[in-house]
Amino acid sequence: MASEISKTQIDRLGDRLKKGEITDNDLRLLDEYRRSFSEAYEFVIVAIRNELGLEPTGRPAKSTISISDKLLRESIRLSQIQDVAGCRLVVSEIVDQNRAVESLKGIFDNANIVDRREHPSHGYRAVHVIVRYRHTLVEIQVRTLLQQAWAELSEKLSDINGTAIKYGKGNKTIMEPLLQMSAELAKEEANEAELTRLEAEVSVLLSAESTELQKQDIMNVQRELKKLQQKQRSLRNTSLKILRDTLEQIQ
Amino acid sequence: MLFLIEYDRGKGEIVTLQRFDESQRHRAEGTRLDLELKLNGLGTEHEVVLLEASSENALRRTHRRYFENLSELMKAS
Repeated sequence: MASEISKTQIDRLGDRLKKGEITDNDLRLLDEYRRSFSEAYEFVIVAIRNELGLEPTGRPAKSTISISDKLLRESIRLSQIQDVAGCRLVVSEIVDQNRAVESLKGIFDNANIVDRREHPSHGYRAVHVIVRYRHTLVEIQVRTLLQQAWAELSEKLSDINGTAIKYGKGNKTIMEPLLQMSAELAKEEANEAELTRLEAEVSVLLSAESTELQKQDIMNVQRELKKLQQKQRSLRNTSLKILRDTLEQIQ
Repeated sequence: MLFLIEYDRGKGEIVTLQRFDESQRHRAEGTRLDLELKLNGLGTEHEVVLLEASSENALRRTHRRYFENLSELMKAS
């Protein structure tokens, strides 16, 4: 937090943003406040690049409209918002997501993990890693490709039809298919994780010299694998059907 | 690279997109404030956001919502 701006000033600014009474001086003060996150933001981005070899997409400062929306929606003060500065990592699958989160915990020892996969926020699934640098927080969003696709769709629908959709208070004809799709994608990702585990198991079994009993084990695991692959195709078809139905309803 | 986006949420469309290299961070932040002040004066409620990515393609992958319409997003999902 900038030493020049007091917490009281920030929270009073937040109150004005919430009321929608934004003067040019408020925008200048908000700009100064957001710039105070630069050092922490840089620290996080550089650490992710150099120590993990990953390339995040950064958002050095949350937009004014997103800050106002958040203040209106939640009973928090401007000084309490944790994602003024942040960045996003999009990885392929759940296994990669778990690996990325563990790596982040390894480089940021004070990281606070918010796992929205088991307890989605109105359908939104991802893992957020909140890092404290001195007195400033930076949020790292870690999403799989499927979680990212869902989040982008939800955000776009919220842009056009009102941000309430993202927070469970919008048009039900849009919200319900989104929630349904989120649940299907969660099943698909759980299945995918099980597939990966079994593939690894088969690979270990195949690499060893096998007795008759072990050969039987391999065949059992391969049968299980085949069932999971079929289930995966069926889950993907269900998700795609929900997508098509949603599009038809909206258009 | 830094990307300054002015986005019309209601229409779901980018109004302006300005590109800056990393050495122009302060200039990009200054331009963001100038744009916000201009829009505030006009009473226009557009989202103004500064994003950073290794390339425009990388940005288009992680922030597709700004660049694609609903049908495009659904097809790509």
